[in-house]
Amino acid sequence: MDLFVSAVIQGVLLGGLFAIIGVGLSLVFGIMGLTNIAHGDIMILASFFIMVFSVQMGINLFVALAITIVVMVVIGAAMQKFLINRVITKGAEPALLVTFGISIIIQNILTLIFNADSRIIKGPFSDVNVVSTNWVSISAEYLMNCLVAVGVIIALSLVMKKTYLGRSIRAASSNVTAAEFMGVNTLKTYVYAMCIAVVTSCVAGLLVGQTFVFYPYSGTQYLIIAFGVVVIGGMGSIVGTLLGGLILGVSQLLGALFFGNGYMILIGYIVMLVLLTFRPRGLLSNMARK
Amino acid sequence: MEDKTLRKEKNPLKNIIILVIVAFFASLTLWGNAYFINLLTLLFLYLSLAQMWNLLAGYSGLVSLGQQIFVGLGGYCLAIMTEKYHQGLALSLVVAVAVCVAFAFVISFPIFKMRGVYFTIGTWIVAEALMIFFANWSFANYNIGYNIRMGYTFSPNIIYLMAYIIGIGSVALVFFLLRTKTGLALMSMRDNESAAEVRGVKLYGTKLRIFLLTAGYTGLTGAVLYLNMVYLTPDSAFTINWTVSMVFMVIIGGMGTIEGGIIGAVVYVIIQQYLYNFPGISMIILGAAAIAIILFLPKGIMGTLHSRYGWELFSVRRGLQNKGASVTSLKDILMK
Repeated sequence: MDLFVSAVIQGVLLGGLFAIIGVGLSLVFGIMGLTNIAHGDIMILASFFIMVFSVQMGINLFVALAITIVVMVVIGAAMQKFLINRVITKGAEPALLVTFGISIIIQNILTLIFNADSRIIKGPFSDVNVVSTNWVSISAEYLMNCLVAVGVIIALSLVMKKTYLGRSIRAASSNVTAAEFMGVNTLKTYVYAMCIAVVTSCVAGLLVGQTFVFYPYSGTQYLIIAFGVVVIGGMGSIVGTLLGGLILGVSQLLGALFFGNGYMILIGYIVMLVLLTFRPRGLLSNMARK
Repeated sequence: MEDKTLRKEKNPLKNIIILVIVAFFASLTLWGNAYFINLLTLLFLYLSLAQMWNLLAGYSGLVSLGQQIFVGLGGYCLAIMTEKYHQGLALSLVVAVAVCVAFAFVISFPIFKMRGVYFTIGTWIVAEALMIFFANWSFANYNIGYNIRMGYTFSPNIIYLMAYIIGIGSVALVFFLLRTKTGLALMSMRDNESAAEVRGVKLYGTKLRIFLLTAGYTGLTGAVLYLNMVYLTPDSAFTINWTVSMVFMVIIGGMGTIEGGIIGAVVYVIIQQYLYNFPGISMIILGAAAIAIILFLPKGIMGTLHSRYGWELFSVRRGLQNKGASVTSLKDILMK
């Protein structure tokens, strides 16, 4: 029983981390109908930047994160402006395949520079437990991940609701023509949306890099987690990603508890497929099928 | 639409060219050197993978990123049948095709409920799930995988001939399939699903048949690929890289054209071989090339050639006799 409780608590905390991995993907899909295959690789690229700045150059972790955000926003904006925006009007497929190409390029450039070795970002919270009893123990790292993730997601949904930028992004996502009549430059809005998604990916990259080891090829694995979160929660729904992350995290840890560690990720995938079969548009999807 | 007058005029020269090319590659077993034979074995197998993905994505609109499911299953069937049960090659290949078709049929129930990007993602998740499942499955030797010793018992020429038959067969299969009523149904479905359904195309059944067909053929190709490569692990069998190569071949050559798959396979195998010692760089070049082609030549090399010069080797279009006017150009006239 205590194992069960412990798995559920760990699962919920892990779910917060999963949610922030997925929120950028959800945002980009909700706004421009783009399935960003490079999402996971962008996050891992951010992890590598933070790793280089903080571990190899010895810069303070938060300064390293700030520098990484600046660098990644430039990369993300360029990617959106010069590559994706040129094909986004031609339907879902060409844009999806462009991001597929970007994903392959990022993975292989990272492998060329850093080899296939495992990396980790040493954070201030590793190996510290907040609650440590015979029954349950909660690591500070997991708790921190979850709190940061929830904070970022709440902040993001406030930005989307309260600011002009958020309103114009939502306008562009619900009706491109009407938004353009009202003076919204939709292509520019897409660039802003991609930048916001990249910033969340940088934070996710820091959290993931502190918690798990990562490789140049890890992007694919996190892309599928992000897909799972978004697919369960509903593409385009920001709050839905929290629910999606929660379900995925808990089901993975319960799967590990009942079937063994080897099956942890497999159980997550099966839950995803089952939910996708019965709710093909996600649990909390607030948008009509494109 | 089965009226013969609606077919394009036959050009005897084209048929002769095709026959000469086919005969040339068959004769290679008699005089080709070992390196060349090995290269062409890969070429024909990748050609088959490209044709199948093209049939699925380019002609039927089922953009799957999970075709590595069937490459891996085909390879595993061959490995398990020959290493565990000591069966012959023919039976193993039959089992590989049967298992792939059966698995495709089973996953078609959930997978076909998903539309568009959900289908794309769903197929990929199935492949990733299989990778983990096989890595944890004692029956399939966990993460260690198999050494397919049967691969050593065949001479490279025999494997080349198998690859040759599979490669040419895939082109012929797609070509003749597209000239039938099913082919017409597929293309109408890809261009406008609702319109096709109204005109009496059975969407689900047609898609399912194509999905099963490509699954079986990709599985067969996968089995022969692993007969050639001799060693397989779950990580290599179910890697997304199989589908990456299919997608790149088809995009570079031209989606929705048969010749595109051929051009793409040639380009892909040449780049792979030329940069064999720098695997990372060859993938970066492929990725960049694919992006450049989507941006600047959205129809691929073959599609661009066709729309500029009207050149094509395998015509699956239906045009008016003598005029050579294709359906698309007729539509243009009507639009004016």
